Amino acid sequence: MAPSWLDDRRTAALAAYEAEPVPTWRRSGFWTTSLRNLDIDALEPRRYEPVGSEEELPSEVRDALDGEPGALIVQRGASTIYIHVDAELTEQGVIVMPLEQAVEEHSELVQEWYMRRLSEDEGKFPAATAAFWTGGVFIHVPANVRVEKPIQSVYAIDEPGTAQYAHTLAILGENSECAIREYCLGADIDGQALHAGAFELYTAPGARAKVAHFQDWGRGEIYDISTKRVVIDRDAFVSWVPVHLGGRLTKQTLDIITAEKGSDMRHTGLYFTERDEHLDLFTTDLHEAPHTAGDTVWKGALTGESRASYEGLIEIIEGARDTHTYLQTHQMLLSQRAKGDAIPSLIVKVDDVSASHGGTVGELDEEQIFYMMTRGISRIDAVRTLVEGYFEEVVQRLDDPGLETLIRRRIGEKLLAAEDQVKEFVGHRAGAAQEA
Amino acid sequence: MSLEIQNLHVRIEEREILRGLNLKVSKGETHALMGPNGSGKSTLANTIMGNPTYEVTEGKILFNGEDMTEAGPDERARAGLFMAFQYPATIPGVSVANFLRMAVNAKREEPIKVKEFGKLLGENMELLRIDRAFTSRYLNEGFSGGEKKRAEILQLAMLKPEIAVLDETDSGLDIDALRIVSDGVNALSGPDMGSLIITHYTRILDYVKPQFVHIMLDGRIVREGGPELADELEDKGYDFVREEVAAANGS
Repeated sequence: MAPSWLDDRRTAALAAYEAEPVPTWRRSGFWTTSLRNLDIDALEPRRYEPVGSEEELPSEVRDALDGEPGALIVQRGASTIYIHVDAELTEQGVIVMPLEQAVEEHSELVQEWYMRRLSEDEGKFPAATAAFWTGGVFIHVPANVRVEKPIQSVYAIDEPGTAQYAHTLAILGENSECAIREYCLGADIDGQALHAGAFELYTAPGARAKVAHFQDWGRGEIYDISTKRVVIDRDAFVSWVPVHLGGRLTKQTLDIITAEKGSDMRHTGLYFTERDEHLDLFTTDLHEAPHTAGDTVWKGALTGESRASYEGLIEIIEGARDTHTYLQTHQMLLSQRAKGDAIPSLIVKVDDVSASHGGTVGELDEEQIFYMMTRGISRIDAVRTLVEGYFEEVVQRLDDPGLETLIRRRIGEKLLAAEDQVKEFVGHRAGAAQEA
Repeated sequence: MSLEIQNLHVRIEEREILRGLNLKVSKGETHALMGPNGSGKSTLANTIMGNPTYEVTEGKILFNGEDMTEAGPDERARAGLFMAFQYPATIPGVSVANFLRMAVNAKREEPIKVKEFGKLLGENMELLRIDRAFTSRYLNEGFSGGEKKRAEILQLAMLKPEIAVLDETDSGLDIDALRIVSDGVNALSGPDMGSLIITHYTRILDYVKPQFVHIMLDGRIVREGGPELADELEDKGYDFVREEVAAANGS
């Protein structure tokens, strides 16, 4: 039996969900994110039986695992199908379990933090997630505990027609230290599916955490509409890494909040879109207290006819003086038909801060390609090396060898898949230069 | 074994830069090509390597007797041509060592063994007095002018081309760097390599001794001779050559 406080939250969320229309996100210029091609009524939560070992997990999950995690929890569709927590973590008092189970076993702790900085009123999909989530993930690292191995959660979709409402709540105790990875993985399904997710993480003072989100929904028509929020307390530090490597349509709100004096963050994002994928990201670095710091770098590349928009806001509220923060975003177009933008913006309501931001959208540089070719390197190898080099700066910031390997491998595969169009694109540009 | 350029005409954006240039550089020879700014020196270097920005409208580039005029830059490089750039591109995220390994492997059937590559790299870095830490930096990113030129010469040393074109390799170098680069070029020159040193100034020729000197003006070679021609140019300057050519054309 779920506690009544949760029932109340779900009821409120359901009311918000029913009151809200299906949104269309518009911005000035060419950008619109629309769900008109998604047949929501045809989707439903799907239940699955638990599996006894990692070997029995769906293949797209197994492919992405690297044996490094100290705890692993996997949700397939609507069901948690696998949990493993190393004895060492359990002895340290670390909790990793479905959120459904945590609301019963740790009701007070969950109630204290659940949706503290998320709201049912943020739109139709956040309301849907709050009303309908099942399974879910709960992570709690007690005060002064240092977890060596990553704690990993996985949300997997491998059947068309799936609606997955996901909710992760992570609470990191005072002066604790850990690394959290959340992977969203899809099979190459033939049909539509939806992942509507919420992620919330709260640190206590002095905590240090690495938090990675890795999304690769495969070649099927998986829609992802999610909100992720990381809240950092006094003198705590979070290095946050959201990675987007695939999905038919993704609309995400990603916020990192330095909420108390001395809180500090590093925010590193990466995306690669292909085919007809559509990616719409809005990130906010929100500084709410004096003496906070931020360092944000986002890089993306586009192939095929894909669309990618990254908008990154730095917001420094009144009273958050002596904040030092910067945001940089770069986007590289690798095909003639791809289209995107990278927009940094700034809202500062206080003096005595330093905040800077910059954004570029570019293409591969013909001069760099020529230079590499004069060393005997073929055009396609030059292109591949330049794109990998372009991402290297952000990959280096991840500080997670397993994830780095996975990202390098996936980007390599995507470039190989796009080889012809990338070659044609730069070839076209070379030809154009010759005609000029 | 030679690079032979026959009646080369090259245009960029409707402007003819090279207007019937002839030049032959054989293995084992060191040539200096000198000319004032805007005479077409860099255009020649870029065209030899197949830069797609430059359009060849007439003439041929032969390498070891084979017509390379239409070949891609990578094909030319694998055949044994090399160019040290005046302004080499920056390759972010790719270390000097990784870049060199890619370039060395591009010429080989089987990839070079790690140990063998390390040995080769170590020897050449010693030759050019380059610090070991250099190889882990991203190629040309944040490099000083001198470091960029040294990285070019290091590539030359690693790739061992038959014919090397050095485009203004001496520009922007202080005297110590110039000496190191020159020593490198001298050490690599010999019966197995021919070089074409393109320069505006005679400065590098105090350190690298060419057997042949060519003077370029307005897209053509107007004077040719031995090392003494460089000395003459040093004394009299390019205006003298220009007047001489004008007089010859006028008569």
